Amino acid sequence: MTHIDQVPTPGAPRPVEIGVKPGTKRTNPFARVFDELVRFAQSRSLFMLHYCTGCGAVELPPAMTSRFDMERLGIQPMVSPRQADILLITGYVSVKTLKRVILTYEQMNSPKYVIGICSCTVNGGMYWQSYATAKKLNDYMPVDIYIAGCMPRPEAVIEGLRGLIENIRTGRADAWKDYYRRYDHYLGNQQRLFGADWQTPTDVIAEARHYDLFGPATLGAHTALLEQHQRPLEALEMRIEIPELMRRRSRSDQGGTAQ
Amino acid sequence: MATSPTTVVDQLLAGLHLPDGFDAVAGVIREFLDQVTNSAIWTRYGQQSLEWLIGMNPVDRLFMLSALTLLLMLLLGRLRSAGVLAVLLYGAQFAALLSTDTLFGAPLAAAVRITVADQSLHWSYDALSWFFAMITIGTGFVTAWYAAGSWMRRYREAGRSARAFHVALALNCFGMLLLVGSADLLSLFLGWELVSWASFLLMALVGGPAAQAALKYLAYAISGAMLILGAIALIYGISGSFEYDAVVAAIRSMTDAQVWTLLLLLGGGFAVKLGLLPFHLWQAAAYAEAPGAGSVFLGAISARMGLFGIIVFIVGMIGVSRLMTLEIPYTFMSSRELIAWIAALTIIVPTYTALQQHDARYLLAWHGIGQGGYMLLGLMVGDAVGSAGGLLHCFNYAITQAALLMAVFAVVHRTGTADLNQLGGLVTRMPLTFLVLLFGIISLAGLPPMAGFVSKWMVYRSLITEGMPLLFVAAVVGTLGTILSVYKLIHNIFLGQLRVEHQEVAEAPLSMLIPMLGLSALIFLAGFIPGPALSWVAQVQGQLGLPVVPWVLGGIVDPRGGLDMIWLVGILMAGFGVGALVFYGFGGRSRRVHQLDNYAGGHFLTADVHYQYSDNFYAGLMHLIGPWYRGSFRWLERSLAATLDLVSFGAEGLYRLAQPTLLMLAAAVAMLAWVL
Repeated sequence: MTHIDQVPTPGAPRPVEIGVKPGTKRTNPFARVFDELVRFAQSRSLFMLHYCTGCGAVELPPAMTSRFDMERLGIQPMVSPRQADILLITGYVSVKTLKRVILTYEQMNSPKYVIGICSCTVNGGMYWQSYATAKKLNDYMPVDIYIAGCMPRPEAVIEGLRGLIENIRTGRADAWKDYYRRYDHYLGNQQRLFGADWQTPTDVIAEARHYDLFGPATLGAHTALLEQHQRPLEALEMRIEIPELMRRRSRSDQGGTAQ
Repeated sequence: MATSPTTVVDQLLAGLHLPDGFDAVAGVIREFLDQVTNSAIWTRYGQQSLEWLIGMNPVDRLFMLSALTLLLMLLLGRLRSAGVLAVLLYGAQFAALLSTDTLFGAPLAAAVRITVADQSLHWSYDALSWFFAMITIGTGFVTAWYAAGSWMRRYREAGRSARAFHVALALNCFGMLLLVGSADLLSLFLGWELVSWASFLLMALVGGPAAQAALKYLAYAISGAMLILGAIALIYGISGSFEYDAVVAAIRSMTDAQVWTLLLLLGGGFAVKLGLLPFHLWQAAAYAEAPGAGSVFLGAISARMGLFGIIVFIVGMIGVSRLMTLEIPYTFMSSRELIAWIAALTIIVPTYTALQQHDARYLLAWHGIGQGGYMLLGLMVGDAVGSAGGLLHCFNYAITQAALLMAVFAVVHRTGTADLNQLGGLVTRMPLTFLVLLFGIISLAGLPPMAGFVSKWMVYRSLITEGMPLLFVAAVVGTLGTILSVYKLIHNIFLGQLRVEHQEVAEAPLSMLIPMLGLSALIFLAGFIPGPALSWVAQVQGQLGLPVVPWVLGGIVDPRGGLDMIWLVGILMAGFGVGALVFYGFGGRSRRVHQLDNYAGGHFLTADVHYQYSDNFYAGLMHLIGPWYRGSFRWLERSLAATLDLVSFGAEGLYRLAQPTLLMLAAAVAMLAWVL
């Protein structure tokens, strides 16, 4: 196992170009209309997984229920990350909690958005001096919107959600791509905090390849460190092992290799 | 026409239209057969037996082949290849049944007759017999195939007798063929007793809880047989004959009170076998605890013999119109409604009991009781579509239940347990078995495009068109319970988390898979093209004097709403096709993840943690409907047993009195006084 001191310190974040390159032109005349429509639909139907830590959680019931009613904006709570669009972190994240938050974030399907509520997610807030809390959430995962305050009132929460909706509608809320393109940066920060043997079940690098989001900074010193000890979780494959047929096949295999 | 094996083989080969290269093979076969036919033994015995077999009365041939199966299993059942022999023999029985041609042709009497004390027992096959015999032999065939290979090897290794199993199965088939072919009351009773004792044999094979359940069955079966015997005595007292023609005439001349008595006696007797409320308590344990392949046979067809009796006597001889005239005093119900409501309760109560079961075998066995209610309900409606639905459900249910039980016992074969709390995630290890179970549960729950949908739809439709909305609601409530419990079945076995101890489980062995997959294909085909099965049912209806269902290849045609499964399945598949096109055509990219890459409130999952709970499934539902389960029928059964116990205890005490002689003298005097 690698010792914590061997984890390379993450350098300054390098700017990475995001989105369609300015030189390329969409040839399909309807593409613009279609993109617009998809973005509008996405912005008006958001499922939210709220990872309620700290005190900010008390502001969510009024924001969700009849007084401020976030469902009129198309936002609904969701129980599992696989179906959720928004991950809502509502307060300080201790180091232990952060592991779970990252696990949950990586299990969400793209496109996914992170909202940090309360000062604690922005800079550690009143827990700045605590040894056990993570100070800046966006060191560990890309955050789309911060809603500062201690705690922010429901009006502010709604205001922040409207901001996110506006960003999605205009195509600016693509921070999630950054996690794939600069995975090495985020992983480095996570390794500094959790130790060199930090690993989640999700294979982010394979996902980046799968979704065509492989960037120049996806791989680096930290992913190399991860690969040293990573035990990949392969999906259970469908096995049809009919014993009689298996035996026959292995016999023919032997015949094949004998020549 | 001179018949020899050579000519038979020549005809077969000519029918197959083989390519030229096979001439040499055919030549070798012919040469071999020529040598055989020229041998002394053949000319002396073989030629005669072949000609005898071909020239024989088809019904006799069927009985003879069935008896031969029994005999050969008795003699050779211990051999390793007895299973294959049994499959061939059941196949031959099936061919013999087809050759009787009593479904579309005229009824055919067997030449065999037994005369006892001036009363003759005789047998005859007609469309109804053909229908039930076809299901019986078909089930026997697939069961024998299922048991022929790996299953029987395991059964032997457990120190059990293969011969006993083969004999019990063959005896069951033989008994049922005699029963469905019975043409008078005596042969009916003979067949009935044979079937009862044969199924006891099959149930009690493995001992332990199975023997307990079988003994309980025996107590019920004997009481049922006594009721039937009482009914036969009543009919004989009026008609003076055991012949069916005389019986029909006698029933027509009976008073209402006599018909009521007959109805209670016959209905009670047959209801025991069918498992109608309140005589259903024996069935689930007796069927579930039987050895795997035996359970498949019992579950698929055995209880339907009770339905056969009800069809012959109550639907055929008494008739639904007569039932409607029998009013229950001081109520607004007739006897038909009484039976229909018993059928409806038989659908609901056992189905919801199935929902509670944590053993896959018991769950299916309880469903078997519930599905019997649909058949009886359809028959009690009595119109063309309803009675056709009830009859068709016999066939559809048999193939469905056989496939389901086979899949469950294949899982038992591989994992060693049917406990729904100990399984899960097997879809990645036994995908073909999963497919079989999936087809089966869709059919059992009565959903398109499988066979069960057609027959249940027909029953529902007739309940609506004949103006029985409350019974319709009862049937739908039963279906709701079915859907819930079959979901539990497939979820707890195949979906969810694969357990550590089942990581290396293999697919079911080929000898078990082939009949399973064959039945699944049949389930789909009988749903996609219900026409052939409906044509059999229509013949049965015609013979019973019921209105005949207007069938076509895809379903039924009726001005009040028909059904065309070919269209329905086509549209369903097109719907799936459009969905697939949208998903895959627009770049839908899915990615399989490991089962431990799952959300459990952010918890890091490991293989030793059961995050997917299958224990106490439907706990929330049971919180709501749990208080409805009061076990009233168990209470009734226990109190009856306790009463009997008390009476026999008192009788025993009476015999042990200080002056038994005095008591006996008093009894003798009283008897004499009564006689004189």
